[in-house]
Amino acid sequence: MQAAPVPGTPVKRLSRIILALALSLSIGQAQNPTELEKRLADLERKMKMLDPSFLPAPELAIIQRLDALEARLDNALSARSSVVAPAAPLPPPPPSANLASTQGGPGLQPVSVSGDFQKAVDSETRLPVAGYMDFHVNKESGDSFRPDFHRFVLLFGHSFSDRIKFWSELELEHSLVEGGEESGEVALEQAYLDFLITPKFNLRAGMLLTPVGIINERHEPPAFNGVERPFVESIIIPTTWRELGFGFTGDLGKGFRYRTYLTSALDASRFNAEFGIAEGKSSGFDSSMRNPAAVARLEYAGVRRLTLGTSLYTGLAGYNTPGINPRVTIVNFDGRYSYRRLDLRGLFANSWVSKAGALNQRLRQQTGVNPNVASQMRGYYVEPAFHLLPRRFRHDVIAFTRYERYNTQQAMPVGYLPLPQFNRSSWVTGLTYKPVPDVALKFDYVFNRNQSSVVNALNGLNLGVGWWF
Amino acid sequence: MVVLMRYFLTLAAACGLLLAQSDAERKPDRVISISAERFTFNPSKVTLKQGELVEFVLTSDDTDHGFRIPSAGIEVAIPPQGRGEVRVRFIAKEKGKFMFECSRPCGAGHNLMRGTIEVK
Repeated sequence: MQAAPVPGTPVKRLSRIILALALSLSIGQAQNPTELEKRLADLERKMKMLDPSFLPAPELAIIQRLDALEARLDNALSARSSVVAPAAPLPPPPPSANLASTQGGPGLQPVSVSGDFQKAVDSETRLPVAGYMDFHVNKESGDSFRPDFHRFVLLFGHSFSDRIKFWSELELEHSLVEGGEESGEVALEQAYLDFLITPKFNLRAGMLLTPVGIINERHEPPAFNGVERPFVESIIIPTTWRELGFGFTGDLGKGFRYRTYLTSALDASRFNAEFGIAEGKSSGFDSSMRNPAAVARLEYAGVRRLTLGTSLYTGLAGYNTPGINPRVTIVNFDGRYSYRRLDLRGLFANSWVSKAGALNQRLRQQTGVNPNVASQMRGYYVEPAFHLLPRRFRHDVIAFTRYERYNTQQAMPVGYLPLPQFNRSSWVTGLTYKPVPDVALKFDYVFNRNQSSVVNALNGLNLGVGWWF
Repeated sequence: MVVLMRYFLTLAAACGLLLAQSDAERKPDRVISISAERFTFNPSKVTLKQGELVEFVLTSDDTDHGFRIPSAGIEVAIPPQGRGEVRVRFIAKEKGKFMFECSRPCGAGHNLMRGTIEVK
């Protein structure tokens, strides 16, 4: 179908002029000078409705009133063109970004754009990449302040077409990487292609973030409170957990969406008592797809500011422990909700490791150390947060408290005793200040506790600044 | 004569402008609020009637996002939370399904931040 011309285009203006000429002929034939003056007054009144700053002056001669009206019409036409046909709103401007230069699609005809988009674009400089950064200063009880440029992450995307898109995330941790020494890391956190087929069914392949929990896929610093990520989502659920694989994604409608992948497996040879399965992530290096793991996540986001999610992960993890092939299963439930100035989020996660006793025996044979891997690990947290300033303020100050309970020794295989220092809880309380939505200055204090009467848990003070662009 | 011609032209231009107000100025048939948040639009599916003049009121609940309807050549930036809104008007001329998407990289789920307009 031929799209209709868009207001503000030369075609549209021309049509107006033609229409105006036709009208002028009929008006000119039908009216005497008194009627014309009356009609002029009526037009001035309508002009006043369009532009309240226009002041009719009936005491002036007709020619002067015509001049004034003409000038206002010129202004109105030019202003109208600028509103209806904004400059390309997003860099880089695609060929169709400017409404003034488009003829519209086959079924949707654009009419106008108005609002605060221009201010948003004009007020900042756009780079051709996205990214986020995380700079911390941490202090544990009895220790000195330790600065750490924790994460420097650049994200690159590319659209091969409307249906084939690339996304990637390249990270430098702890600001330095040196061969053979303990220092930071350069990591490919994501790199995948999306083949967008239908809203309900799309294909994704590459280095994928495992869709478990809240933080693993939403870890931009301004997106969560606290300088460090929640303990439960770092220890019970690995962070940043990414694996090689492929799978399907989609929006099922009515607010439901899903992601389901087959990915490379966890490595059980790196499981231990303190961090459970968290250090078993392969991160795409020396990984195995011999027994791919399956992971699925279902989310409901059908109500504004409410997101509920559940994930299931299951896979064999024994590719580096010959003869022992334990199965890891993780179930998690999570939710986020905002009501006026109150934010609430919470998460529960439980993981199971089969054949944990045999795995401990095998790892002791391989390394000489009993890793005391549990057969079950559990954690949960609840975080209420309150925006101290009304939402209409340009600055945002958020006070929050997070209670976390996480036990990597929840249930032990026969013959192994739980280590109580790894049955832990934490209160994290602090402030997040956002001068703009994408920059977060953070402060928190962490009260750590464990069930051991021998090993003390150290409290911590954290300062940080994180930003996204 | 010249004065009269000028008069008629101005008068006619004014009439033309007022008539041409139409779509951009008249009250839309439907106003639909759509919120954007990493990595979803809410609602992500909008059903319209053919011929409706529709206004989308776009806001963000976090960072700034983009809003793009490729088939209509519409692309605008949605300002971040608390920084205002964008209003996009269009006419649903033909029946069919039309995709809209976030056009501003916003994180790991950016590629899937999409929605559908269905015109019946």
